Amino acid sequence: MRPSFARFRVAAWLGWQVDSNWADPILFVIYAVARPLAVALILVAMYWAVSGHAVHSTAFTGFYLANAFHSYVNSVVVDLGWVVFSEREEYEMLKYIAASPMGLNTFLLGRAVIKFGRATISVLLVLALGWFALGLRWGNAAAHPAALAATLALGLAATLAGAMLMAGACLVLTRAAMIVLDGVTLSLYLLCGVIFPVDLLPVPLRVVSFTLPWTWWYEALRRLLTGVSASASMGKLSDAQLVGGLAVTTVVFSGVAALLFRWLQDRARALGRLDQTTLF
Amino acid sequence: MRLLPRDLVLDLRAMNARAYVRIVGSFRQLDWVISDAVLPNLGMCAFVLLYRALGAPKSYEALAVIGGILTTYWINVLWGMGAQLYWEKQAGQLQLLFAAPCSRMAILSGMALGGFASTLLRSLVGVAIGIWVFHVRVETFSPWLFTAVFVLTMSSLYALGMTFASLFLLYGREAWHTCTALTEPVYFLSGLYFPIRTLGALGAVAAGLLPLTLGVDALRQVLLGPAAHGLLPVRTELLALLAFTVVLLFAARASMRWLESLAKREGRLTLRWQ
Repeated sequence: MRPSFARFRVAAWLGWQVDSNWADPILFVIYAVARPLAVALILVAMYWAVSGHAVHSTAFTGFYLANAFHSYVNSVVVDLGWVVFSEREEYEMLKYIAASPMGLNTFLLGRAVIKFGRATISVLLVLALGWFALGLRWGNAAAHPAALAATLALGLAATLAGAMLMAGACLVLTRAAMIVLDGVTLSLYLLCGVIFPVDLLPVPLRVVSFTLPWTWWYEALRRLLTGVSASASMGKLSDAQLVGGLAVTTVVFSGVAALLFRWLQDRARALGRLDQTTLF
Repeated sequence: MRLLPRDLVLDLRAMNARAYVRIVGSFRQLDWVISDAVLPNLGMCAFVLLYRALGAPKSYEALAVIGGILTTYWINVLWGMGAQLYWEKQAGQLQLLFAAPCSRMAILSGMALGGFASTLLRSLVGVAIGIWVFHVRVETFSPWLFTAVFVLTMSSLYALGMTFASLFLLYGREAWHTCTALTEPVYFLSGLYFPIRTLGALGAVAAGLLPLTLGVDALRQVLLGPAAHGLLPVRTELLALLAFTVVLLFAARASMRWLESLAKREGRLTLRWQ
């Protein structure tokens, strides 16, 4: 156990060095902070623009909260794919990592820790902006602490599983990985109903949406923090059923992601993709 | 062509060649075509559905669709223009561009023309989504005024892209991250998904800094009329876009000259992975 932890710690330290030291700190701060804050401000400006017509202020708070927590998906799920891509294409180190005692799994988990840390900063900044500067309130937060803690833990577990799945996909994909990563970022924003109720999606997309743990995560967060559901169909469920739905989708998704990651890793080795540079 | 000065003919040929490579290359890889055409519109769909969820009038959905269509161009300006010389450097081609006998501005203009032509077709996917998925309706408008606003918006945007391209000549990996950092913050400051007037004084400042802000506001006013909640009269915005185009073209030319000599002195033209 101790050697495994030491390797994990080294991978996390390496992740911190790579993520924090490559550029001007000011640029790094802009990059890590500006994007999530800008999206939050777009939502707020949209709400202000229609505030004379629209009256769903609690619903808006729910969308704002879900958008804040979506930073985890953007920063961990998608960025872990970029880690694989850049280690193979830019630094050309992936083959050495795969051959080292650390192995790819420990390396990716260690790198994910730093991504979680960075995402947490983004989430806290967006939440602080909403609470202090915009006057948004989620007064229901203290009502169900155990359910809220379980919801947060399950959502983060699903995020880690999604990150490993994307990393596995990027092991096999060549330059198309860039498109897939961009596509996943935007598709999940739409499919998980981050800023609107999933009921507004066409039926086939809604079915896909309900299989994704993040759809349940965002809806559970909205319900537990504001006391109001955004989705009419999920609004019929009790709090326990909603968190139960999140647990089931997280367990199933994580299991499938683990199996797929192992298969994708084997496939990448078989295809010789671990040391194949295709971008430049 | 024989009546034209020899240097001008050479520059026009270089521009044509660079645009040709851009257009043909952009259609050669199907996955890039799909991603450029479809992906920017997914974000637009989410923002339109937010307006629907908030119970906003239908005109706001049209407003977000117009902004969403323009994101396709902004992404092309950033990644296809701004970061292009960085890509060329990574591919080991940059020295060939600088060894060519033609003007650097001809190469940049060709990049801009080719990028615009290929993006124009892709942006039609956004138009189709707006019309057939969200059933967006526009007011009766003057095609001449629309063309004038669109052409001036595009020329000022691509002139900004040419300036970015020369500025990024010095950069290494920072070029990539600068482009990323200029995505969502510019969406916000340009009011792509809401009337820029909502931002008050900040919106006016943004309009003075970013041609995209004025372009999207003017296009909305032409297509939606009073429902666009415009910032300035369209004619004023047209003049400002023209001024942006002229100033940015001069800025691109000056910065390219200065940064080329600086990059040569510091040996960065052929330096990869800096």
